[in-house]
Amino acid sequence: MFNLSSLVQKAQSFIDPTQALNISASDRNPAKSTLFRHQFRLPDSQTPLQEITAELTISPPVAYSPNATQGEKDKDRDRGYHYAGKLHLSESYLCFSTQPTSFLQTASTSTSSGFTGQTHGAGPGGNGFTLPLCAIRRVERLHSQSYQFALAITTWNGLSNNAASETSKTPVLVQKITIQLAGTRPACERFCDGLKKGLKSGVGEVAKLKRVVSECYSEYLLQGDGRKEATPPDAGLGMIFRYPGDAKKLRDRSKMRLWGEYLRDYGRNITLIRQPTYHKLIRVGLPNRLRGEIWEQTSGSLFLRLENPLQYADTLQKFEGRDSLAIDEIEKDLNRSLPEYPGFQSEEGIGRLRRVLTAYSWTNEEVGYCQAMNIVVAALLIYMSESQAFFLLSTLCDRLLPGYYSTTMYGTLLDQRVFESLVEKTMPILWDHLVKADVQLSVVSLPWFLSLYINSMPLVFAFRVLDVFFLEGPKVLFQVGLAILRINGEDLLDASDDGAFISVLKSYFSKLDESAHPKSENSKLRAVTRFQELMVVAFKEFSGITQSTISEQRMKHKDSVLNSIENFAKRTSIRNLGPESKRLGVEDLGALYDRFFGVLYERQMRSQMILEETERRSKASRSRAAEVVHGLPENQVIEKGRVGLGPSPTLMDYDGFREFLSGMARWAISDSPSPSEKDSVSVTPKHSYFGNSLRRREASLSPWSEGNPEPADHEFMQRLFRRWDVDCNSSLTLQNVVTGLAQIKGKGDIMGSITYFFELYDDDGDGKVNREGILRISEALLFLSRRGLEGSLTPSSSMVGLSEYEAGNGAQVDMIQGNTNERFLSSVSAFIRRCFEYADPDHPTNQEEKSASEEKEKEVDNNAFDIGEDSDEEEDLLDLGPDAPPKSPKHRKKSTGLGGPPSPQKATRPGGRSVSIAQAEAANAALDPSKPLHITLPTFRMVVLADELLEQFFESSFPTSFRISDKMPTPGASGTSSLTTFSNLGFGRASTAPPNGIAVGGSTAGVVPPSKGLRGVLDNIVTDGMRVAAEVRRRMDEAQKEMEKNAVHRPDEDEEEEEVVIGPRDPERKSVRSEDRDLLEGADAEVMSIRGSEDIAKEKNESLSLTAGSNAGRLRRGSAASSKVVEFER
Amino acid sequence: MAEATAPKPSSSVKLVLLGEAAVGKSSLVLRFVNNDFQENKEPTIGAAFLTQKCNLPTRTIKFEIWDTAGQERFASLAPMYYRNAQSALVVYDLTKPTSLIKAKHWVAELQRQASPGIVIALVGNKLDLTNETSSSNSLSEDGDEEVAEGDDTDGDARKVSTAEAKSYAIEEGLLFFETSAKNGTNVTEVFTAIANAIPETSLKGARGPGAAQTASRSEDQSRVNLTGPRDNVSKEGCAC
Repeated sequence: MFNLSSLVQKAQSFIDPTQALNISASDRNPAKSTLFRHQFRLPDSQTPLQEITAELTISPPVAYSPNATQGEKDKDRDRGYHYAGKLHLSESYLCFSTQPTSFLQTASTSTSSGFTGQTHGAGPGGNGFTLPLCAIRRVERLHSQSYQFALAITTWNGLSNNAASETSKTPVLVQKITIQLAGTRPACERFCDGLKKGLKSGVGEVAKLKRVVSECYSEYLLQGDGRKEATPPDAGLGMIFRYPGDAKKLRDRSKMRLWGEYLRDYGRNITLIRQPTYHKLIRVGLPNRLRGEIWEQTSGSLFLRLENPLQYADTLQKFEGRDSLAIDEIEKDLNRSLPEYPGFQSEEGIGRLRRVLTAYSWTNEEVGYCQAMNIVVAALLIYMSESQAFFLLSTLCDRLLPGYYSTTMYGTLLDQRVFESLVEKTMPILWDHLVKADVQLSVVSLPWFLSLYINSMPLVFAFRVLDVFFLEGPKVLFQVGLAILRINGEDLLDASDDGAFISVLKSYFSKLDESAHPKSENSKLRAVTRFQELMVVAFKEFSGITQSTISEQRMKHKDSVLNSIENFAKRTSIRNLGPESKRLGVEDLGALYDRFFGVLYERQMRSQMILEETERRSKASRSRAAEVVHGLPENQVIEKGRVGLGPSPTLMDYDGFREFLSGMARWAISDSPSPSEKDSVSVTPKHSYFGNSLRRREASLSPWSEGNPEPADHEFMQRLFRRWDVDCNSSLTLQNVVTGLAQIKGKGDIMGSITYFFELYDDDGDGKVNREGILRISEALLFLSRRGLEGSLTPSSSMVGLSEYEAGNGAQVDMIQGNTNERFLSSVSAFIRRCFEYADPDHPTNQEEKSASEEKEKEVDNNAFDIGEDSDEEEDLLDLGPDAPPKSPKHRKKSTGLGGPPSPQKATRPGGRSVSIAQAEAANAALDPSKPLHITLPTFRMVVLADELLEQFFESSFPTSFRISDKMPTPGASGTSSLTTFSNLGFGRASTAPPNGIAVGGSTAGVVPPSKGLRGVLDNIVTDGMRVAAEVRRRMDEAQKEMEKNAVHRPDEDEEEEEVVIGPRDPERKSVRSEDRDLLEGADAEVMSIRGSEDIAKEKNESLSLTAGSNAGRLRRGSAASSKVVEFER
Repeated sequence: MAEATAPKPSSSVKLVLLGEAAVGKSSLVLRFVNNDFQENKEPTIGAAFLTQKCNLPTRTIKFEIWDTAGQERFASLAPMYYRNAQSALVVYDLTKPTSLIKAKHWVAELQRQASPGIVIALVGNKLDLTNETSSSNSLSEDGDEEVAEGDDTDGDARKVSTAEAKSYAIEEGLLFFETSAKNGTNVTEVFTAIANAIPETSLKGARGPGAAQTASRSEDQSRVNLTGPRDNVSKEGCAC
């Protein structure tokens, strides 16, 4: 079976060959830059450039006076708080953290991932700052004796009211921090140089900074009391419609005061410095008007906004008036998002919600809109402006809740699995109870995670959870969830079904504001609410649940979750394929699905690899690191296109189609890549996209070098593609492919195949194929047969004597194979001849002139043949594909002589087609291009049926050549049920056992023409010498068994069992066998089994002698019969 | 038994609602459980759980209703909810032909993946948007085709003919109803029909602790918006 996960591995090894050598090591080797970005919540554009150990001194803010002496400044530096930690420099940020972590490329893994803070790398833990370089106003180098190297940094803190202050001449609070660098002098110099460069390039960003900061409520808050502007910045719908909850009860005023002080002393919004108080203030709940801003700051969406402040407005403008599926879905839900909040009963609130959701659906079309986003965004909009909510939503979807809202919701499902495993680990008794009572936990917990508790808990409490969540990351959701279960553990143990379980939790949520210990003597304890208790349990008892715990668990469960999603998707899409698909069996559809998406996936991976390559040097192995932090690939870079991860490509272009065909049909494999292609296939994969990543040639990044064959490109394939592309958009859906294949394989009668083939070449659909078309048909026939034919080709009647002779002699398979192919060549040439013989002239005069112009036509004919042909085609025909044994010219000669009418002088020319041409010329003079002619379907049919090889080709080898399910031919494909020839005559039933693989199932799987199985086996023996022995032995056993079976007139059971044992390579065989059995039990089974036993006996002998001509006799009879019937019908 | 009024045998039946987004799954449940209707219902996230009893002449059926989210991408969560379900309500919007296609997909999914013998009812909702006056006659075959084609008829938003859906339902062996959660047409009938169709053998007895909690539970689980206008259309049917 096609296995996507193995593809993933393969693809990963493509992306980084060095990693493929040591996957386990690379798994544990996260990219420093990703960890760095997550630690400081920086945008993806940032990478760690410099780092140095340093000590941060935060002086209490001083009133800036121009006359302050150096001495005063020095004194300031000695006061205040001191923190030892690491200072990091990226392209446009200066970051400090007390957590001893190194992100430099040279640092070891343990140092870079050895987090000690609460967030473990998933958020700004510890004390420090994340300072955009553009927010730095001034850096002074201090010369002091105690320190080697010290920098005094003055920020633009309070920048927006500078103008006002200058006029009023009151002193302005200036934020100034001092950093002592601890390192060798060169190291310090290097850092400072980097900083200088960054500062220079940051100058241009100050305007952006101003704009961003002006939307922050803190700027308004910290303005001098007397000069408050009339309109504060937008702090959400709450300013208009009141914030949820009782402000007094929430102690909003005192919280605001505390935050005011903190922000005044330690920097606001962009210049904020994290100190212990900061974390504490967040834990007790944010004040309403600052909530949005602090969320923005802690989650890092503020930096995203700083990067592109106008993105929100621009996006809305750009897509104004356009429609999308997401917009339809959004509209459905606008009126039903937090409908109990008055703001969302108003046009104002609904308008904001609509705009934010719409803008996001445009910026991330893969996600678009997912229900629950409406609830989350509605909640955000109560506290923040539209633009702030937009960026926070981006941060949520991309970083904090990866894959939650994707089209497959794999992130949600994965985290549910993780949550369950954490419950199992931390609360084994409860878990056992859940399992016993058959309560599915995720049924309850899924909405918690998906809508961040917003529609589970009363809003005020949900927001408290969010406060911590944005600072500390996704692990908070798990901690709170676990705490909920722990607190309600006893009640939950009493609940015996889903309903009771849900009801316990519902009533718990409704009582979150009540005292947790209402009966306690201790008044202090009595004052503790259930929610406070929940927070304590979550963050104290489950403090062991860290980001790395989550990541580890995600890694562990990722594959099984993705697989189950993919299975579901596969099941669903196969089921929805429509009535045409019923012609193919379920297994075949499954295999087709795998093949189809496998090709798309691989192709996507390859184009992805090119993109990756361009970034590769500077940002090595960044996506791997994301997995360590998230447990999921960052931005789905690595596994783009994997069905389970969300929107994957569903359309196949022509190149993909070629690749798809080459996986199924031998003829679709290119014969010998031209030298240059060969080069790129075998030599370049390791280098071409390293050195020359822009090179888009497929050959350079194909999996062909991994053993997959390179697909051919032939006009026939283009025609097939166009035929299947019913929507005419130059791409195929799975539905198109299934319908297309069902038409070829599913019909199962020769007339259907012939008609289908004819229609392929009937360009204008007028029921006529002209001269050009005839030639193209014959080219296609040669193309399709150049690797040998599959299924049951028997020698033409003229060859019977020889083949039997050969069979008796036990002549080599090679020779038979060769002969068959050569005979096919002559059949094709006869086909051309006959076509022109029987063609209807477009003008009646043609016929009269036909013979007269014979001589002239010889030359013209050659030219006509060259149209649309490429040169290597000719070579193909010579060696009949790589699998076929090399043949001596003698052979060819012989077969030519035996085949069509002799044309000796031409037959010696190399190349089968020349032979055909020659014969065509010799026999037919109607090739004058100046005399238009055409054949109609009945003519075509007649011509095909006139030749046994061609007839067999259309009857079996053509449909059989599409091997859907496995590598071996599936002989059941061409049942002749509609003609009923074989069954009437008693053929076919005997050899019900397909040699291998899956019958094409469905209604047509039934009547299997005799002996094609053996022929197929032999063909494959030729192509795969390794299996010869096994196959032959198996065939012998089968034959043996059938004989026994027939002897007792009991066609089935034990034999089937044996089959499974014998053919272990193919687990799906069993189903095939049972289908066959149904047939065997048909009315005329008995007659046939008697009949068949002769054949089987023969077959057995023949397979013993390893000859291909073995089944000649049997099939000959069959085909002769069928052609008779056909002619009669015609 | 906990309920004094019901000396009859009582058993619980798990029922799952499936169907495209915004066809009115939650509204049907709300109508059935609380005889209420809300114009703007919050979309269901994941699934909602409600219970309601249905009194049949011979027994009492307690429906444990799993109301699922309809948005396409939630589909992969559905197996979690229809697991062990004894009955299913597959809902489409009879003003939206695509929703019937989706419903057919769900039926196929259930027939293959859900517990064998599951009782499935196909329900076309939003009958109130059509201009058929009497709902009880709506199942008559004649004239339906005209209705389906005559889209331009005033006020008739019907796009799926009764005959079409019904013939499909018959073919697949489904119960079939056209309902209006808004005015209550046929809603309780659907649930009664399902209750009647559940084979006696597949009923489990009421569970001890579960049954005891039923009374208290149904109240907080019903997500009632009591402020909403109470619909006056009185429904008999099963005494729910």
